[in-house]
Amino acid sequence: MAKDTRLEDAVLRGEMSIVDFCCEKVNGQIERMKERNPDLLWTLEIQRAMWEMFRDGHKNGKKVIWFGGPVPVDLIVAFDCVPVYLDTVPIRLSPNPVLAARFIDAAEKYVPNSMCGIDKVELGMTLLNQFGPEPDAFVYSSVPCDSSRIAYPNMDMILTKKGTPCFAFDTPFRRDERGIQYLVDQTKRFISWMEELTGTKFDQEKYNEVCKKTNRTFEWQGKCAELRMRKPCPLPGRMLVLNGTSNAMSGFDAMGDLLEKEYEVGEMLYELGMGPCPEGEKHRVALLQNMLWSSAGTMDWLEREYNTVAVMDAFGFQYGDIYEHIGDLEDCLRVMARKMQNNPMIHGASGPSENFIYLVDKIFENYEPDVSMFIGHIGCKHTWASAKMVTDMIQEKYGIPSLYIDVDGIDGRYKSLDEIKASVADYMDTVVNK
Amino acid sequence: MSYQKLFDSKISTEAAKAWRAQGKKAVGTICCHVPDEIIRAAGILPVRMRATDCVDSSSGEVWMSTFSCSFARSILQYWMDGVYDLDGIVASDGCMMPSRVFDNAEYIDKKNGKNRFFYQIGAPRIVNDMTLSYYVDELKELIERLEKFSGVKVTDEALKEYIAKYNEARVLVQQVAELRKADNPVINGQDFSSIILAYTDYPIEEYIEMLKEFLADAKNRKPYTEQRARLMIIGSALDDPGYLKIVEDKGGIFVADALCFGTRAFPGQLEVDDKDVLGSIAKYYLERLVCPRMMDDRATLHEYIINTAKEYKVDGIIYEKMQYCECWGGESVLLEDELKEAGIPLLTVEREEHLANAGQLAIRAEAFIEMIEK
Ligand code: SF4
Ligand code: SF4
Repeated sequence: MAKDTRLEDAVLRGEMSIVDFCCEKVNGQIERMKERNPDLLWTLEIQRAMWEMFRDGHKNGKKVIWFGGPVPVDLIVAFDCVPVYLDTVPIRLSPNPVLAARFIDAAEKYVPNSMCGIDKVELGMTLLNQFGPEPDAFVYSSVPCDSSRIAYPNMDMILTKKGTPCFAFDTPFRRDERGIQYLVDQTKRFISWMEELTGTKFDQEKYNEVCKKTNRTFEWQGKCAELRMRKPCPLPGRMLVLNGTSNAMSGFDAMGDLLEKEYEVGEMLYELGMGPCPEGEKHRVALLQNMLWSSAGTMDWLEREYNTVAVMDAFGFQYGDIYEHIGDLEDCLRVMARKMQNNPMIHGASGPSENFIYLVDKIFENYEPDVSMFIGHIGCKHTWASAKMVTDMIQEKYGIPSLYIDVDGIDGRYKSLDEIKASVADYMDTVVNK
Repeated sequence: MSYQKLFDSKISTEAAKAWRAQGKKAVGTICCHVPDEIIRAAGILPVRMRATDCVDSSSGEVWMSTFSCSFARSILQYWMDGVYDLDGIVASDGCMMPSRVFDNAEYIDKKNGKNRFFYQIGAPRIVNDMTLSYYVDELKELIERLEKFSGVKVTDEALKEYIAKYNEARVLVQQVAELRKADNPVINGQDFSSIILAYTDYPIEEYIEMLKEFLADAKNRKPYTEQRARLMIIGSALDDPGYLKIVEDKGGIFVADALCFGTRAFPGQLEVDDKDVLGSIAKYYLERLVCPRMMDDRATLHEYIINTAKEYKVDGIIYEKMQYCECWGGESVLLEDELKEAGIPLLTVEREEHLANAGQLAIRAEAFIEMIEK
């Protein structure tokens, strides 16, 4: 039976917004899951909660705030606004190359095709004005990279022309005490800006509540990460993508619920000696850069064909900073500043290479992978430019060679799933399993 | 001294060698948020690193991959090849590519047991009171490191002395740029590019002398009269006058630019507040117009490009984008329409550090000049 592509076609014709499309899609997936695999329904609930929150924000009387890069999301939530993490759009669209292409092509009319697909989709979506609900504000940061520094300021200028207020954080290059204070000072200014935007005063009680929820999210996320350190790793590689989702949703119960469930299932599987590899775990792979969003099927296939599980990816890795003195604003702002510097992708990609090397070293130390893959998103040129230092370290310290493949994590037209699998298979057969 | 050295765009290491022969330090600098005045006040010679004439950056590519800006990776190549024999590198995080040149150079240096001086500062990307004070702190730390390294205390007096010198160079470079306003200028784009590139290799005092001599002699130069179109060049780092030659050979003449190895290298004047000399340096370096590495100067940058094009009676703009240069590559989003609105024709071309596609550039430039000539 031919695939029903009515929703995709509507987006391609510009008649359906991205948010409506994602809501319809997730609901469709949930209906199918109910019939085929009701035990796994929990894995989709977070998607439904998030996309419907984006869609219904205005209906629920809230302001919808786009954000790009590391910003104090918990404050946005505390002001009772809907935080829209823009990276969720390209990641959500990436498995469908035609759809992602609509927005990538719109951006490429102006920007080089070498720019990161994440940023191209976000810029393209803004140029085509197809997200869905108009944002009430846009908050962004000067990191992670050159691509985002093209996309965000241009989006700022486009939105400003429409009268949308924008706020930019200057995230320092280095991670140190001075950087933390710099971010704290800017965050204080941001609080005043939010007060003006929303017409409400900052409410410490509300903020405390959000901090508690965020702590819960990261405590469970930390436990899930620990599960992944176990041998065999009970959780599938595909679920690593959730590490990014918690950037957007950590301040909501749904995220903590999901991770609690993930932990529960993982623990149970571990007790049963089960995991994602049908014949038992033979290898553990660390991905040194992004998750393969456009071809996440590669993770399932590695588990099936090679009994090899992706235990961690360097971009999704969460440090999981916890608020220790909730109620003490100054202290919480400092933790938030640390969180902003330690966000997935930001920690490894946006500063000096030594951060990236340190992070990967931690992954190797804690997760003990025996396979190393730099499946490098081509847009991420600055991580490519650190890759040799990182892989040299892995070789020297852990005696593990690394596979290099260039992919486009967002634009599936660059390389098909089969091409990626062929390169990985070649490596697995000739190097890992020789 | 002959000012002819101003017209030799090849990297010259003679001044750095002579400097080091006196037992003093010389460091490479990458990107323009490391104030030269500070380095000089610490008794160190700053050598702005570039990649002019680099035809093979394959070793640089091993470290930085093919997905890197060839200007940046060619600098790494030159560093590895020993073209720059210096005591270290001081950089600022202009875009991610120079930062990676810095990281790799430091890593390779350590690996080779050399352990030279490496220090990178972070420069804010937004201008306001808060970012300015952060930048001041970064510069304070830079000073501490440089003092330790050179053994020379950086005083306000020394800073003021070098501010005065660099200000003098700024005035002189602006006078050279003014020459381009003439209907038949005595310098073309290649000349101007070479003159600017010379500052990267020489102590500022020597550069000032060369500029003075050149300006005194400028009236005796034969004006360029054969040009069919007055052009402006904007875009990625361009440290190769040979690139401009290809276009000028087709009948154009570059009379203006918005390049970091161009007029933007010496903008305005650094105003000193005697009570806060370092703050004055920070203010100047942060507030001057640089490039799209900043996040909040886009509108001003576009205005500058349009106003300069008008002031220098430009017939068209050539916008060169280095492959994998997002910074400049992505600046078209609003700029293209703004130039259209201002009635300024635009030709956008992609390039690499070495002149691989000279033929194609020549053809496109010729067609563009034909289209815009009056
Ligand atoms: S994946 Fe890399 S290039 Fe893309 S936004 Fe993240 S840091 Fe930038
Ligand atoms: S701004 Fe562009 S040309 Fe300059 S170093 Fe960065 S990528 Fe290269």
